Amino acid sequence: MARRKTSNPHPVLVLALGWLIPGAGHVCIGRAWRGVIIFLVIGATFWAGVGMGGVLTVDPATDRWWFYSEMCAGAHGLVGWYRQHRVYEEVHLPEMPRIANRAEAMELRQFHMNRILADKGVALVYPTDVVARAYAGVAGLLNLLCVFDATVLAAMGVRGEPHRQRDAQEGEA
Amino acid sequence: MTAATLFVNPIYLSPTNQLWLMLPLLVTVAVIHKTMRTADIRRLLRDVLVLVAYMAAGTVVLAVVLWLVMTHWPRS
Repeated sequence: MARRKTSNPHPVLVLALGWLIPGAGHVCIGRAWRGVIIFLVIGATFWAGVGMGGVLTVDPATDRWWFYSEMCAGAHGLVGWYRQHRVYEEVHLPEMPRIANRAEAMELRQFHMNRILADKGVALVYPTDVVARAYAGVAGLLNLLCVFDATVLAAMGVRGEPHRQRDAQEGEA
Repeated sequence: MTAATLFVNPIYLSPTNQLWLMLPLLVTVAVIHKTMRTADIRRLLRDVLVLVAYMAAGTVVLAVVLWLVMTHWPRS
């Protein structure tokens, strides 16, 4: 049977797809089952975190470093950020006094914001915030690892499962 | 807690029992690591179980060492 000739995907495409949809990078390089497992596990971990922490798990204003790692989860992180943004948009802040110092003004604004969010029952506090952000953030960091792995393999021209490549090489020899 | 509020409102977690939530995270890390590294995907389950056991044992050893340091560290 004639073997179908397939071209290797460009590493930049693998990087972009792997970030946006966890596991898609591995699917691109011909490791479909690995891609499916990565997609399911990273998605489940991220949304388990959001399930525990609620809509403010992904929050750049509260915890910047966890937010960066959550953004590494691609579409999951973007959806989480959009949901958080919608909640902030719905908050109507009271009239603020004029404060010349920008940092103090921002602090006062955040204080009122937090009070309103607490009244709405969505404020994320200790100890739930630690666990929820750890789950969502670790999901993002693991996706970063997967993206790196798939991109490096694509750059090296590797395609398909390792044992199949080995079998093919042995068959040729 | 209804399904509608599950992904909106945070749930209450007990501060004393939250360490148990580290175990699913260990499994997640093990699955992702072995999914990338294992040579044969058919051996994934076995490899994951071995790695989870290693990680859990390592975490327990680390916890015991830290507890001993905290308990017996000479105070000035």
